[in-house]
Amino acid sequence: MTRIKRVMTMGGMQGIAILSSLALAHADTPQRVVSVGGSTTEIVAALGAGTLLVGVDTTSLYPASVTELPNIGYVRQLSAEGLLSLRPDIVLAGSEAGPATALAQARAAGIEIVTMSEGYTPEAVARHIETVGRVLGRKAEAADLLDAFKVDFATVEADLARVTTKPRVLFILQTGRGASLVSGTDTAAHAMIELAGGVNAVTEYTGYKPFSPEAAALAAPDVILMTDQTVDTLGGKDSVLSEATFAATPAGRDGRLVTMDALYLTGFGPRLAHAAHDLAVKLHPAHEFAPLPERAWTKAE
Amino acid sequence: MIHAENVSVLVDRKRLLDGVDAEIRPGRVTALIGPNGAGKSTLISLLSGERRPDGGRVTLDGRPMASWPALALARRRAVLLQSAALDFAFTVEEVVELGRLPFAGTTRQIDDERAIAAACRLAGVDGFRARAYQTLSGGEKQRVQFARALAQLWQHGEAEGAARYLLLDEPTSALDLRHQRIVLDAARRLAGKGVGILAALHDLNLAAACADDVIMLRDGCVVAAGPVAEMMTGTLLGRCFDTPIEILTRADGMPAILA
Amino acid sequence: MDQSRMTDIAESASRPSRALKRPAILGGLALLLALAALLSLATGAMPLAVGDVLRALFGLEVDAQSAAVITMIRLPRMLLAIIVGAALAGAGAALQGLFRNPLADPSLIGVSSGAALGAVTVIVLGGAVVAILPFAASPLLLPFAAFLGGLGATFVMQRLAQSGGQAATATLLLAGIAINAMAGAATGVLVYVSNDTQLRDFTFWSMGSLAAGGWPGFTIAALPIAAALAAIVVSARALDAMLLGEREALHLGVPVQRLKNVVMVASALAVGSAVAVSGIIGFVGIVVPHLVRMIAGPDHRIVLPGSILAGAALLLVADMVARVVVAPAELPIGLVTSALGSPFFLWLLVRRRRFG
Repeated sequence: MTRIKRVMTMGGMQGIAILSSLALAHADTPQRVVSVGGSTTEIVAALGAGTLLVGVDTTSLYPASVTELPNIGYVRQLSAEGLLSLRPDIVLAGSEAGPATALAQARAAGIEIVTMSEGYTPEAVARHIETVGRVLGRKAEAADLLDAFKVDFATVEADLARVTTKPRVLFILQTGRGASLVSGTDTAAHAMIELAGGVNAVTEYTGYKPFSPEAAALAAPDVILMTDQTVDTLGGKDSVLSEATFAATPAGRDGRLVTMDALYLTGFGPRLAHAAHDLAVKLHPAHEFAPLPERAWTKAE
Repeated sequence: MIHAENVSVLVDRKRLLDGVDAEIRPGRVTALIGPNGAGKSTLISLLSGERRPDGGRVTLDGRPMASWPALALARRRAVLLQSAALDFAFTVEEVVELGRLPFAGTTRQIDDERAIAAACRLAGVDGFRARAYQTLSGGEKQRVQFARALAQLWQHGEAEGAARYLLLDEPTSALDLRHQRIVLDAARRLAGKGVGILAALHDLNLAAACADDVIMLRDGCVVAAGPVAEMMTGTLLGRCFDTPIEILTRADGMPAILA
Repeated sequence: MDQSRMTDIAESASRPSRALKRPAILGGLALLLALAALLSLATGAMPLAVGDVLRALFGLEVDAQSAAVITMIRLPRMLLAIIVGAALAGAGAALQGLFRNPLADPSLIGVSSGAALGAVTVIVLGGAVVAILPFAASPLLLPFAAFLGGLGATFVMQRLAQSGGQAATATLLLAGIAINAMAGAATGVLVYVSNDTQLRDFTFWSMGSLAAGGWPGFTIAALPIAAALAAIVVSARALDAMLLGEREALHLGVPVQRLKNVVMVASALAVGSAVAVSGIIGFVGIVVPHLVRMIAGPDHRIVLPGSILAGAALLLVADMVARVVVAPAELPIGLVTSALGSPFFLWLLVRRRRFG
């Protein structure tokens, strides 16, 4: 009972605060934000609005501080009442957020939900940043972020323009116990390989499909790309390279296994330019790349 | 009267019954005897209306069995089959009560309690009405099923309306001597009230002791049929069972059959 | 003669206690259900006062958001839990009677796997369908497809089982296995061509949830479930007779073939509708009828309505657990019922082996 009373009083106080003249400047800017989707959460934090977050989903892992927040579950399995219980002024929902009924119920209960459009291009990330900046009333911060983002990207592109040979890269989402799940086109991994001056070794299909050792040999990748998380579960780089699946590939012979953090590699958030840079450095060891300046949103906390 | 005329049953080109005639007459006990595989159970399934013959016809009161609705038939005849597996924890009384199912929603439903009590008493299961069916011995289970069949045929007061029939397939197979007697006595008492009874029996002495008529089957054909006195001869039984059979006469005049 | 008359009377006097047991047990279960329903309305991630819950229910003034939480989220969800739990447990009880096997489960006759095939079809190929049909984007598409899948499986199964004239119970079970395998294979093909998101969607769907149904889910499932359960409940005595054996039931005047058809189709309708709006929720159909039989015996006049009431109550409790333990997130309710149900099921198996 006391808890219920307290919560209701807080709600009342908040209402008064919004009406008070001091807060008028911020009357339209949300003070309690729920973010659904790893890249959206990253953008909110990059815009300096991380303190407004009152809840995130399970795919929101960066910056590390957001993992301390109340978690509303898997992005496709949201609970309407769970959302409501956080009393958000706004829910920033990635395009994957669902189920539709839960979102509809939350909307019907008066929660504003803004759906983000996402995509695997720098332009899509720029639009995403603009949207979040507009919705949170942080247009200036968004403009600064975008400027830096564009400068960094230009640096990476200039360096890549001098690269003459593009290595064939095979991205493996998951492996072990026989077949591996390998990326075709239309994935974040595919887009990242291209952004970093590589060529996806598999373009015969879209999405992820099981891949046999023989097909891997036929794809003839120069580099095998995996996430740190996958490699960790498989017991380190050496045990991955010793697997029969890759033994017959150029990458396997030369021991070229490149790994990166999963969210950093495939997140398509504000750290995209840095991720592309880091991957490019690993894909083209013979080339010199200008280092990118550290930004507020790329500092590990 | 339940009447089978020239009935045949074919299963996988094997003739289980071939041109058989049989009757169950009100007030009479008919014993169905014959060696294993003679077709006794098949004939009972025809006479009970469960199965349709591939040739010939089976009638109740002159009407083909197939034209009787299942419920109307159930109010006229009860059947006790050889084995009943029950995987659910019914009490004895609940099993017997199921015999009254055909009368649910009819005026005769008011007789249910008396019918159950009478059936339990007649079948000798009075002593364990509240026990779980699953905990009973084979013989006790058989008697409970017999009581269920009795409850289905029970009528209050003097017999009235159309004749009723009771078909028993090896009703005494799991019973000791005393309970064999109890069950067949009950059948006789029912016959005394006008119920027509057909019992497939293995024990020829039991058949001789309680039946009015006998039908002898062998290899799907009737070897002989008629009043018990005429049927229980060494020659006929020997032909039916394909083994020498000797008939002695007991002090009370009843035959004693020895194989 | 006099003595036997006396015993008659003595025994009739002892019988009413059994007749009284039925209303007592069913009344108790109904009370339990009402309690669980009320508790379910008062429980959730949002802290709401019980007084507000009651006020909202009776249409009295409460603040807009509390009213929305109660009438848009909790009330339809409570009703959904009731009909889904009732459908799963009622159909389970009826099928166990029909198959004369206390361990039979709705998933045995292929309904669940057929519904799963319908669901995965929409999840994986839904995008393509939405492009053709304007109304296909509606949230009703998935439940509708799942329902069709369940019904289709039942239909195929009926045809398979009756190809030899009358459907023998053993054939029905084997046909169920075949249907499960066929639907499983087709589901596997669709899972193979699915992308990561679709795969996760299907995984979550197959773990069950009452979150996605809402009023639309309740509205489409309520009528078929009510009709199916009514058909099942009136078959109680016939199912009792079936427990003795099919031939025995026939001799007791039960139209066995028609009973099989009615119970099969009604169970498929109930389970198909439930699965359509809630995904796959395991063990309710097997555990609940068992509990009721342990308390009340195998008489279907108690087991069927008792399972319906207890199934509804159990699912309400399971859903409360699912909603509260990891709030503001939710557990899939199928995980809750499986976590509770599977040890119970194992215990049943061991117990049955020990006591025959």
